[in-house]
Amino acid sequence: MSLGFILAQCLGALSQAAVLFFIACGLTLIFGIMRIINFAHGAIFMLGAYVGFTIVAVTGSFLLSLVLAPIVVGGLGMAFERVFLRHLYGRRDGGAYLLLTFGLAVVLSELIRMIWGAQPRASGIPDFLRGIVVILEQPFPLYRLFLIAAGLAAALAIWQFLERTRAGLLIRAVSQNAEMVHALGTDVALVRTAVFGLGCAMAALGGVLAAPLVTAFLGMGTTVVIDAFVIVIMGGMGSFLGSLIGSVLVGFVQVLGAYYFQDLALAFMYFLMLIVLVIRPGGLLGRED
Amino acid sequence: MSRNVSFALTVGICMLLPFMVPQYSLTVLIEALIFGLFAMSLDLLVGYCRLYSFGHAAAYGLGAYSAALILTRLLLPLPIGIVLAVLVTTLVAVPVAWICTRSTGVSFAMLTLAFAQLGYAMLFRFRDITGGSDGIVGIPRPPGPLGMTWFQGKTGYYYLVLGCLIGSYLLCRAIVRSPFGAVLAGIRENEAKTIALGYNTRAYKIATVVLAHGFGALAGALYAAFAGFASPELFFWLVSGRVLIMVVVGGAGTLIGPVLGGVFFVFLEHELSEITDLWPLIFGSVFMTFVMFAPQGIWGILTRRSSPRAELPGAGNETSDAAA
Repeated sequence: MSLGFILAQCLGALSQAAVLFFIACGLTLIFGIMRIINFAHGAIFMLGAYVGFTIVAVTGSFLLSLVLAPIVVGGLGMAFERVFLRHLYGRRDGGAYLLLTFGLAVVLSELIRMIWGAQPRASGIPDFLRGIVVILEQPFPLYRLFLIAAGLAAALAIWQFLERTRAGLLIRAVSQNAEMVHALGTDVALVRTAVFGLGCAMAALGGVLAAPLVTAFLGMGTTVVIDAFVIVIMGGMGSFLGSLIGSVLVGFVQVLGAYYFQDLALAFMYFLMLIVLVIRPGGLLGRED
Repeated sequence: MSRNVSFALTVGICMLLPFMVPQYSLTVLIEALIFGLFAMSLDLLVGYCRLYSFGHAAAYGLGAYSAALILTRLLLPLPIGIVLAVLVTTLVAVPVAWICTRSTGVSFAMLTLAFAQLGYAMLFRFRDITGGSDGIVGIPRPPGPLGMTWFQGKTGYYYLVLGCLIGSYLLCRAIVRSPFGAVLAGIRENEAKTIALGYNTRAYKIATVVLAHGFGALAGALYAAFAGFASPELFFWLVSGRVLIMVVVGGAGTLIGPVLGGVFFVFLEHELSEITDLWPLIFGSVFMTFVMFAPQGIWGILTRRSSPRAELPGAGNETSDAAA
């Protein structure tokens, strides 16, 4: 086993982690602000992939789909928050969100099946990202390197946004004490809507990025949402850094597991989560509540 | 009193049904009753402890696979096979419950989901035992030394399922009406207060998760022996989601509501999936509507006026955990 091979494996794992991060970080942001676990996040990721596919088919531009698909899906997410979720905030029972978003996941995947059909759709890797890079005598697809770069860029951008901007400050404040922020005169409802939309847009971006690799298929939302839950729970619900660490962990477990222990790859991921939760019930970086 | 009368009347009608419906419908009816039983087992968690399990398929699948293995390998009589399958599942459920109840709310939901998916993954790992994606086929219903052949026919099996359902219902009803059940209601309404009163709520929750798995396994075992096969789909999270929908739409915390929810949904699914493939869309939309506007479910709406217990004192003045 050469050094180049190990490096290629690690890069493969990191590119997987990048896609997962796009979903997990939206999930954790939404949870941090709203205490809502969005069960439909996988379906929204899938919607992003399909919308991206249509934009590429119509305009022929991959870059345009990277911009437009998140805007469209983020907008839909905000509408959903306004029309449905908002009415549940007063309810004592937090499980209602779980149930409602689960219903949304079912409805959304059926709508996607009706609109785009049951056939898997492949948008293909755009020309300028096609090709193979040779790293230490090991061939490695350029597109996967692009994914790693995109993931890194997104992580940096969100981190800077949360830490350095006024909107980021507001988001962190709402996640710590929404009532106090409200009392100080900020429209907390608006922050909630925006964050829900942002989370959905991130998932859609992940969907567009992942689509050329996996081809958009029905059910891609299901597999991915469970992965994202594992990441978010392992990293600590609501923790941004936790979702980053969790994504990398799960990315490595999935890629290396699939290579060395085919059948056990799935089981490994859950084992990892169970171990983390038994030791730290709140997740790696989470508060226990 | 009138409740007991209507209960007896319902049981009587169910007893007569095999003579009134065609054989084809009897198949659907048996499946419906099994799913009703399955939904009721989940109601113990959802309706009485407010623990949303997204992995209740694990109980169903484990019950089905244990029954399948016991019946095909050991050729034990059917009733003993089913009882053993329930025992095996409850034993497995103890450590699972211990881990899952470390957390509540969303984490609990995801932990149960993870365990169910772990079980699903294991089916493919231990292909020699479980048959992998083919599952286990050709499950017999051995009559045993007493020559009990009555459940080998469809009508006989219907009575077996009906008996299990009624027995389980009476047992669950007794449980939720007992002092044990009162503590569960305390956990649902205000866990912190229940702890302050000196109850070890964790132990109560573990016991309830194990109980729910037991009844769920009974449903799974009955299904496996009826269908004659056990496949990995039984473990899949869609089953968990479906049964959760049935519980909520039927009316969580009423026991009878989820049974009706399960029965009606299986029937509707059979009828509607033949004429329209929009069924999952309708299913999902109906579910969302109920979560939004009628969280008490169908049975909750029907009995609201007659039952004063639906409005528990102090239920409205808690602070919402959504705003936290």
